[in-house]
Amino acid sequence: MSRKPALLLVPGLVFILFGFAIPSALMLLAPPSTPTADVFARLGAMLTDPYDLAIIWRTVRIGLIVTVACVLLGFPIAYLLARSTSRFAGMWLALAIFPLLLSNVVRTFGWLVILGSQGAIGQLLVILGVTDQPPQLLYTELAVVLGLIQLFLPLAVISCYSAVAQVDAGLDHAARGLGATKSQTLWKIVIPLSRPGILIAGTLVFAGATTAYTTPYLLGGSSQRMLSTQLFSYASVSVDWAAASATALIMTVLVFLVSGLSSLVSRKAGVTA
Amino acid sequence: MRGRPVLGTLAVLGYIIMIVPILFVVSTAFTAGDALTFPPQGLSLRWFGEALAYQPFISALVSSLQLAVVSTALALLLGVPVTLAIQRGKIPGKSLVEGLFLSPLVVPELVVGLALYQQIMIGLHQTSFVALLVGHTVLLLPYAVRVTGASLALADPAVEEAARGLGASPLRTFFSVTLPLLRPGIFSAGLLSFVTSFNNVPLSLLLQSRQFRTLPVTMLDYVQQSYDPMIAAMSTLILAGTVVIAIVAEKTVGFAKIFGGINK
Repeated sequence: MSRKPALLLVPGLVFILFGFAIPSALMLLAPPSTPTADVFARLGAMLTDPYDLAIIWRTVRIGLIVTVACVLLGFPIAYLLARSTSRFAGMWLALAIFPLLLSNVVRTFGWLVILGSQGAIGQLLVILGVTDQPPQLLYTELAVVLGLIQLFLPLAVISCYSAVAQVDAGLDHAARGLGATKSQTLWKIVIPLSRPGILIAGTLVFAGATTAYTTPYLLGGSSQRMLSTQLFSYASVSVDWAAASATALIMTVLVFLVSGLSSLVSRKAGVTA
Repeated sequence: MRGRPVLGTLAVLGYIIMIVPILFVVSTAFTAGDALTFPPQGLSLRWFGEALAYQPFISALVSSLQLAVVSTALALLLGVPVTLAIQRGKIPGKSLVEGLFLSPLVVPELVVGLALYQQIMIGLHQTSFVALLVGHTVLLLPYAVRVTGASLALADPAVEEAARGLGASPLRTFFSVTLPLLRPGIFSAGLLSFVTSFNNVPLSLLLQSRQFRTLPVTMLDYVQQSYDPMIAAMSTLILAGTVVIAIVAEKTVGFAKIFGGINK
């Protein structure tokens, strides 16, 4: 295997360059029959227009809420499972990972049944006499946030789990033996040592939540537009390539910014640790 | 969970959000009534019959399966040699090359979808199957490279060198030593790829045509027009299929291992 390795790369490289890298770059900067200047003019207009800014801000806000919620709910699951001695721990871990294999569309439909006007929560509130009419729960920001948490929580669980599992449980015992309380052990030993995994979890969830399409489309409707649903409508309803590229640029920069920031933070932490 | 009230409560809440919506879909699929309501009215299997007799779902299912199988095979054919080169060869800029093959995980799928729509369907006048095949394969390449790479990284290159030293040809070494080492990784990558392609929405939505539409996209369309339990029945059938795949994954390679490769 002296000269061949380079040859092995060729088909894959050609494919990823012509099937991904070049088309994506063209789409972002030079869409068909649209001068690049138009894309940037449109981008400038979006960054000053209140309607577009509201969509950008909603996307960032929902992304942040979902990220915090997923880490807050995912870390405890990962920690309890990683430290559990129960013979059912493996089964519970599998149950948390399983949704990753299941279609987003199927997972999101559940919220239609729960939050819809004929749905479980609305009916329950009417039966209990809290309201006469089922409240509007679908097509709200809350619906989108719940749907996205459901979608990305398994990802947070896996990332946190592999991080916590790498922290030697002996350290927990040592800290406890030296008189630390359970919560001191958690905050001073386990969380600092598993910070890289928590950071990865947060980055993956944020990138996923700010670019997801199915959930804001089904649960947010036209009143809760996010960058992804806006991009789709520019691309296929109004066929406005300049606007689609500008929206795609905002989305891509947002994701790259957060991924870059996160790897910068983890590298810095690695140097000081 | 005893003695951990705060962590325990958060964990329970997490499981409720992950699992309960799925249970609601399943329970409404068995309704005898005409509306997608909860609680379901009566018990029946009629909506499963209707879902399986609904032609658009069935032809979309066939399309989805075709696309998933072909794009998985293509991603493995292109990705496994790349893994071999990265793990076993001495190539310059190794981490840059690996980064390029993992980058489809970072770029938003809608961007890739729209890019291929503009360049392949409009620019090159290709069918939506061709565009979808390219798009899905791009999306699956990171799995093919990363997951098989993880299993190869665990294997000692000395075994292959020993085979070569004992007189085996490079081809013989590949087929009787390297490939068996790669097999669990290829299996995991194939499984993840198949599921990822089958479930994909953003690419399949932007690159669809009247002749070729995948199942998730058809279901999204359907739920916009009519809101009845047939969609819950079809979802439940997909859930059942996914459970079978999950059991196969757990019995062969192990669940956590399959996902361990991609998460880094």
